[in-house]
Formats: sequence, C-alpha cells, structure tokens
Amino acid sequence: MASTTPPPFRLIGQKVPYVEGPLKVTGRAEYTDDIKRPGQLVGRLLRSPWPHARLRSVDVSAARALPGVFAVLTGERYPTAFGVLPITHDETAIAVDKARYIGDIIAAVAAADERTAEQALSLIRFEVDPLPEYADPRDGTGRVTEPIHARGLNGSNIQKEVVQHFGDVDAAFAQAALSVRVHGNFAGVTHAFTEPMATIAEATPDGRLTVWSATQVPHYLHRSLSEVLGIPMHRIRVIKPEVGGGFGGKSDPLPHEIVCAALALETGRPVKILVDREDVFYTNHGRHPTQNDIRIAMDARGQILAYDIEALIDGGAWSSFGTVTTYYNGVLSMGPYRVPNFRYRGRRVYTTKPPSGAMRAHGGTNLRYSIEVALDQLAEQLHLDPFDLRDQNALPPNSTTVNEFRITSTSFRKCLAAARTQSGWDRKFRQLPYGRGVGLGCGFYISGSNSPIHFTPVMPQSTVHLKVDMDGGIAAHSMQADIGQGSNTLLALIVAEVLGVDLERVHVQRVDSDVSPIDIGSYSSRVTFMMGNAARAAAEQLRAKLLAGASALTGVPVEDLEVGHERYFSRRDPTVGATFMESLHRAMEREGALVASGAYNSPKMGGSFKGARAGTAPAYSFAAYVAEVEVDVDTGVYHAETVWAAFDCGRVLNRLAVEGQIEGSVHMGLGQVMGESMNYRGTRLMNPSLLEYKIPMPQQMPKVEILLVGDDDPEGPFGAKEAGEGPLIATLPAVGNALYDAVGVRFTDLPITPDKVLKGIDQRRREERPWKGH
Amino acid sequence: MHLDPFELHRPASVEEVVSLSGRLAGQFDYLAGGTDLLPNYKMHLNLRPHLVALEDVPELRGHSLDRLGAMERLADVEQDRGLAAAYPPIGDAVREVATPLVRSSGTVGGNLLVETRCFFFNQSYFWRESLGFCLKADGDRCHVVPQKKKCYATFSGDLAPALMAVEAEVEVAGGEGRRRFPVERLYDVGGDGIHRTTLRPGELLVAVHLPVHSRSRPGAYLKLRVRPSYDFPELGVAASGTMDGTRVQRLRLAIGGAEMAPRRYDAMTDRLVGETLSADRLAAFALEMERSVRPVHNTFLLPDYRKRMVSVYVRRAIERVQAGGAK
Repeated sequence: MASTTPPPFRLIGQKVPYVEGPLKVTGRAEYTDDIKRPGQLVGRLLRSPWPHARLRSVDVSAARALPGVFAVLTGERYPTAFGVLPITHDETAIAVDKARYIGDIIAAVAAADERTAEQALSLIRFEVDPLPEYADPRDGTGRVTEPIHARGLNGSNIQKEVVQHFGDVDAAFAQAALSVRVHGNFAGVTHAFTEPMATIAEATPDGRLTVWSATQVPHYLHRSLSEVLGIPMHRIRVIKPEVGGGFGGKSDPLPHEIVCAALALETGRPVKILVDREDVFYTNHGRHPTQNDIRIAMDARGQILAYDIEALIDGGAWSSFGTVTTYYNGVLSMGPYRVPNFRYRGRRVYTTKPPSGAMRAHGGTNLRYSIEVALDQLAEQLHLDPFDLRDQNALPPNSTTVNEFRITSTSFRKCLAAARTQSGWDRKFRQLPYGRGVGLGCGFYISGSNSPIHFTPVMPQSTVHLKVDMDGGIAAHSMQADIGQGSNTLLALIVAEVLGVDLERVHVQRVDSDVSPIDIGSYSSRVTFMMGNAARAAAEQLRAKLLAGASALTGVPVEDLEVGHERYFSRRDPTVGATFMESLHRAMEREGALVASGAYNSPKMGGSFKGARAGTAPAYSFAAYVAEVEVDVDTGVYHAETVWAAFDCGRVLNRLAVEGQIEGSVHMGLGQVMGESMNYRGTRLMNPSLLEYKIPMPQQMPKVEILLVGDDDPEGPFGAKEAGEGPLIATLPAVGNALYDAVGVRFTDLPITPDKVLKGIDQRRREERPWKGH
Repeated sequence: MHLDPFELHRPASVEEVVSLSGRLAGQFDYLAGGTDLLPNYKMHLNLRPHLVALEDVPELRGHSLDRLGAMERLADVEQDRGLAAAYPPIGDAVREVATPLVRSSGTVGGNLLVETRCFFFNQSYFWRESLGFCLKADGDRCHVVPQKKKCYATFSGDLAPALMAVEAEVEVAGGEGRRRFPVERLYDVGGDGIHRTTLRPGELLVAVHLPVHSRSRPGAYLKLRVRPSYDFPELGVAASGTMDGTRVQRLRLAIGGAEMAPRRYDAMTDRLVGETLSADRLAAFALEMERSVRPVHNTFLLPDYRKRMVSVYVRRAIERVQAGGAK
C-alpha cells in the first residue's frame, strides 16, 4: 500500500465559519435584550449633570410615590466599592458621596415601563456642593484642592505611578551616535461595539439571583456581584448570552450590572437595564487619552541602545484597569526589538471625565505609535531603510528582554520580509509622487497575560469540560466569553480536530456559571492560547477513552490507533478500525456518558522586582504592516489605499476568524489615526453619538492584504498565539509614517485630521523644507 | 430615549393640509421622511403635540426634468440618471445625502427644510439640561457666540445649494393660496438658525420646479465632511454655468453647510461674466469667496478649516463648469 502522509490537520488552518453564524445572520441568536422574563421591569439610571460634586442630600419621595415605580435606589444602599482589579476598588454601583463626572450614576429606578422610569428620574432632587473639575491630567499631578479619590498619591489625582529602570539609560545616551525624541499626543477613543451594554437580573424565591449580561468577563462579574451585594457566589448565577462586540468595553464588571441586580433584589421582580448609545459613551472605559515622551538612543550602525519613556495617562474618574495601563505604556515597548537599556516613568491621573479602561491592544497602541515614528526618523537620519533598521534590531527567538520578559517564538523577521516584498516597498519608498507615500509600522503584543487578576483561590486560568453521551453529540462547557471574536468556534474546532469528528457534533454551551467551569474571560488576548490549550487537554482525555473503546472493539492496541475522519483505525492495516460512534458506545459501557476536564495555567515567569509580572505572557504576537496612502494636499483629506498586514500569530487555527480580526483591527486602528476621538470641552463630552464620533465608513477601508507568516509557538495550542489585539497596533504608525513619506510632515497628534495635515504642510513650507520637489 | 406621544394626522390633499395647518397653528410639525425630525423628537427638541404626515398627498410626489415633488424620496431622485445628467449639481447632491438607508426615507422637501444643526443643539435632553439650554431649544443663550442673542446653527442640507445653482424655484401652498419663487428666497438671509425661512406660518412646500434654461448646463456639487457618507455637510459648494470658450457666459454659485442659511452669490459671480478665467483669476476669485463666508465653531470640523476649504471647493466646482461638467 502506498504510504502517503495524511495532512497534519483536518480543520485547523481552514476557513471555518462561526458555529453560531447561521443564528446570528438570521436574527435568531439570543442577545441580552432578546431575553424577556415574566413581569419584567424597566431599570433606568440617573446620571450626574455635574462633573464633580459632593452629594449632600437627596429626596426621592416624589419618585417613589409615582404610580408604576417599584424601587428607587441611591448610593448608600450598596456602598461596597468594587473594580476589576482587586488592588484598586474605587467604584461603587451608584455614587455614594460624590459624583465624579458628567454621566456618573447617582440614582436608579425600576418601573413598569420606560416612560414611568424616566419620569421618576426627573422627580429625584439632589442638593449638591459643586467641586472643582479636573479636565487635564497635568493639573492633577501635584497636590489638588479636592482630590477626586482619597487614594490619590500624596493628595494629588495620581492614581498610579510606575518608575522602572533597567541597565544604564544615561550612559547609553552619552555614548549614542544619535538620538531622537517624539512627543505623542493621543485623544481618547472608545470601543463603539455594536451592541450597547444590557443586563437582566432576577431574584427568585429559592434564594437565588440570576444575572444575564453582555459581558466579556462573566467570572469577574460573578465575583463583583457577590462582593457588593453580599451574597455568596454559589447563590448567584451569571449567564452570558450572545454578545455583540466588546473590544475591552465590557471587560470590567460595570456599575449598571450591579445596579440591575440590586433593583431585582429590591423589587422581587426581573429588571432589565439597556444602556443607550449616549450612556455607552459615558460608561466608556475606552483607550486613555495619553501624552507620551519617547527618547531613543542609537549607535552609528543603527542598533538601539536605550529607550527613555514617559507617559501621562488620563484615567478619567475611576481606576478600572489603570494600574495595568500604567505599566503597559512602558513595558510593552520591550518588543519586537532588542532594547538593552530601558527607563520608564508612567503616571495615570484621575480626571472628572468618563473612566478610561482597557481597549483592544490596551496599553500598547499609543506607545507603539511614538516608538515607530521615532524609529522612522532614526532610519532617515542614518540613511538606512526602515525595514533594515528594524530587521537588524529584531529580538531573537528564545531570548530574554532587559526587564526579564521571556520571548519564545517570534517570526517578526518573517513579517518584515513578507511586508517588504508584497508591498513593493523597495520601488515605492520615497519614490512615489508628492502626496502619495508608504510607511512601515510594527507591532508586539501579549498573547494572554501571564497573571490572572485574582490570585485566590489558586486555580487554572482556563478550564474546559466535555461530555459526550450515546447520541454522539459533544457538549463543551467553559466560561470563555465569545463576544463575536469566534472563541466558540475555536473551542468546537479544537475538540473536533482532536477527536476526528465533524464540527457539527460539538455543541458549545452558553456561558452559565452554574455549569461552565471557570475561564477568566475575553481580555488580554488570552482566549486562543489559554482556552485553546484547555480545550485540547480535555479533548485528548476524551480521545483516550474513545481509543480505548476502539481498541476493545478491534483488538488493536491503543498506541497503534490513528485518528481518522469519524473513525479510529490501525496504523498497520487501515481497513481495521471502528467508527467514532462504535468506539463511543463501547467506551460508555461501564461509565456511561464520557466526560473530560482540561485546564491551562501559564508557567511561572518574570523577574522578582516590583511590577515584574506586568506584560509577562506565555507568548507574544508580532506584526509588520505597510500602509500606502494618497493625500489630497489642498484639503488634507487622505485615504489609506492598501495595508499589507504581515502578522505572526503562530499557527493559524481558524483562518476566517484571524482574517476577520486583522481586517477589523485595521479598521479600528484607522479610526484612531484618522478621526475618532472623544472630544471634550473641559470635562464635557461633545460627541456622545455615532454620528459625531467618526468611525471610518466602509468607503474609507483600504484593501487589506493579509500575510500570515508565523511559525508554531512551542506552548500555544497546536502552535497558535493571539490574533485579536496585536493586529491593531501596527496600523497606526504605518499610516503615520506613510503620511510622512507622502508629504514630508511628522504627525504625532492623533487623530490626524485633515486640518492638521494642512497645518503640517504649511509649517514645512514656512520652514523651507521642500519634499519631493514641493 | 423614547418618543413622547403625539397626534398623527394624515391628510390626503394639499387643500386638506392647508386647512389642517390653519387649525393646528403653531402646534404641529410636518412629517416628511422623518429621518431628521424623529431623532430630534427623541432628543426632546422642540416637540409639538401634532404631526401632519404628508405621505398620503399624491400631489407632493413624482419627479421629472421639470419638477421634483416635495415628498419624493431622495433614493428615487438619485436613481434618475437622466435628471443627474440634465442637472449635474442635483445628481451630485442627492447622492451625497447621509446614507442609502436615510435616502430611502428622506425627501426632497425634508432636505430643503432640514433643521439647522449645532453641536450644542443636537444633543439629548440630559446633555442640554446639564449644560444649560440654548436659544434654539428651551433656553435663552447661545453657547457658540455667548455675547449674541442670536442662533448660529448651521444650515445642513445638500440639495438647497444645488437647486440654487441650477436656478430652480419652489412652489408653496398656504392659507393665502400658492406662491412660486426662486429657491434662494426660501431662506431668510437676514434671519438666524431659528428664524431661517421666509415661509409664512403653516405654509407647505409642494414642489421644486426646474428651469429649462439651465438644463444640461455643466456644474457640480462638492461636499465637505469628515467621512464619505453618513455625515452632514460641513460645507457644500454648488456651481452651474456656461462658458463661451474660455470666457464666462453665466455662472451661478451657491454655498451651504457653512452658515445659518444657504446663499447664492450672484453679485460676485456676475462680475466674472465675459472674463477669461485663468488659473490665477480663478484662485483670486475663490479667495474672495472664502473671505465672504464665516463659519462658526458648532460642527465637527474647525471653522478656520471649513473657511479655508471654501476657496478649494469653489475653485474645484468652477473647474468642473469649465471642464463642461466632465467628471
């Protein structure tokens, strides 16, 4: 018999449509707002019209007396502070002593219908003392008259300060052949997911509380509900229906979720809270408005000698993920290049504005923009091609960074080579006519944070349960949160691959804390790596049982069995074998339904200094993007025509999902470059709507040429790494550097709107610096 | 956000509309496509207890090379390639309104009489209340130009400048009968963002009449906005005219999206008649136009930038006239 090697994978690497896709595109998928409970009430939130005010007294009597009102809630009823990070609990479900921004929740009602609820809100009367507002983080770095939170550093509004120094930065700058400095300024941007937040809560006479919520982190929500409401976790059931996008905006336990549960407890009736679009903007937790100051020292051959980085980060009213943000704005500079000396000072400052938080490529995006612009400048000064400069500085595989990050797999140099070749870089860079340009930007991101947010109790970061009964359908349970990124499909895909069965046999169950084993959620680009490994471990256990069944039926020793399509057969004689169903039924004879549990925990890593864990990850993704832009030099309007996106996510598991993530990331990154911004006048958000918050339109999308060049990661599931956040980062500097190639102006104030393009060109002309003959 | 209740009226003829409007004096709004009015109602902007829906009035429908019914859907006008060829500025403008979904509801009349816009006005009740209400809704001050007791909300329709450039007329009906006058006289240049039209109380826009003399005349409508769809104009420039060789024979130029009302600039363009428009002369003229337009800071783009774009857009629109309307 001819011996042909079977393809290593049957499903992995293919374009696999989402398992829930048919339900979503026909409108049958169940989102939170689709759920209706008998006797359900409408919950509504009263938001602060004051940026900063002490709440002296409140009169809710008229609201309570209104017919159709079932409950009116103010802050003192559930004053326990919470927050996503255990070390910075500074949020309350409803403001207790102070309102801290325009939009802060100061009261809530549950009523029979929407109009009654809104009328009740209008009848609540507060007496307040206005307090100073703080719009600019620079005004909060010293002692202030009225700190926004008591926990601010030394009477200031500084929420977190990070100071790190590795190697000897001053010595490196002293011996450097050249250095550059970039001051970056970045407006805040927000996630703008399709589905606004929504929650339903119901307290039942059996003493239990059930909460359905559009969340990325059902487990953290579960914990926070328990802490604030004072109910043991086992009496609370958290269910995550389908979620219409998150991008980090649903990765904190959010106040409205707790308020909704509190209203259900108060009224004994189910309560639904829908957050409308304007309130989504006030809930925010988007990317921090940031100012950074980046110095890079380089030797005459173009080797990076040192980074010296400062960041001033506008946190808004709460901590949220801010401590992580403060670290990330420094330490995520530690790849994709070797940096022998590194100094960082980062400060995140509270302001009386909607809270900032985690947003796709959290902490890495603004930092990366400034670094990549600086490297572009250095390459120009050294007359080196930007690709060559980056290539010669690339971190090698299996190395350790100066701050003790463990780097295992990196295909960064392959990314560079692919982007350079496919984009036609060598015949375009500095050679296109005035107004047209190409630019290179690179990226580096964690593939799952090595540290879980909670350390007690010690437990795996992801667990997957599988059960298969005589019908041959495989139920997969895990608290991993599919938010549209395709993690349900990934789970099914891995199980089907390992067992050799059709994808349709695997039924991924809705997240339900009563039955789903804990996975800590969809954030930090961790799900593919961590849940993927847990799923693989569970499926391999199940496979062992099925192979034992096949072995008992055929007499072929387990170690001689191969996994085929719905069949297990002898490696020596492929005609001898048993089907999946035969093997299953044989294996079930003594234990009934087959069950398996797989778990993943990342290995110990990182140094022993303070903050050493921040940014450590079991693997990292790498990117090299080229953008080609065309600028209308009369209007400053520009269009990114093509983006060549070379990305290292290790082995591609679901090509369709990875490509979708990259295209979506390019769109989201372009938004931050071209026009998205939370526009404030003082502390007032001027554009809380999708009409005035300028997400790019389809006509503005470039052609995205996706180049997936990653080698297998040694620890990722089947060699895979993340592809959900890293793909965003390189988009921004690629466009920024392409604008420079087009018109000869460095843009470091984002978004780069057409008026800024024109001003930049004007200034260059005033300084008599012609560019491409203009 | 929810809609407060209102009483909906569905008259079936212009006469019925006129009689209803007399009866409901000051207590109603006309409901055309609803794409502007209903979002504004959800924000509780100047609610009226009655809405007079116009979709059952046959006379307000239809479009041809001579006439656009006020209730004709923008999507239907957009699909008429003959019309776009005959009146290029109209073809350009109608395509540029909002999004396909909005154009499938939005109407010719609705776009001509679209509410003026300002980022202190187009906000929720919560937002406006927390800042303090403005002149245009519920308040007594202007947040854009605080020292003035005048509303600076920006005229944000696309069709008006295009129709002005092709020298169209509007037909209106009211208690005192029907009137017909040039589109540019529909807007009260001496008014403000609140008092913005010359319509008498209750008067109904019936149709737009397109003149034969400007038919097939080269022209264009160019729209400035942040994104290539969805957004309202931050500036809209329409030009239509005829050249005698390189010399200007007739030129009509209108600008919207920049001030409280759209305007046509006949006094300035008439001075060009008989002149050869060299690139330098055109640039100088465009700069003159730029100087005569004064946007304020109440839309997304900065007023300095919008003003600067006037000369670029004027130049480009006139170049399209010079090029014979060729794209």
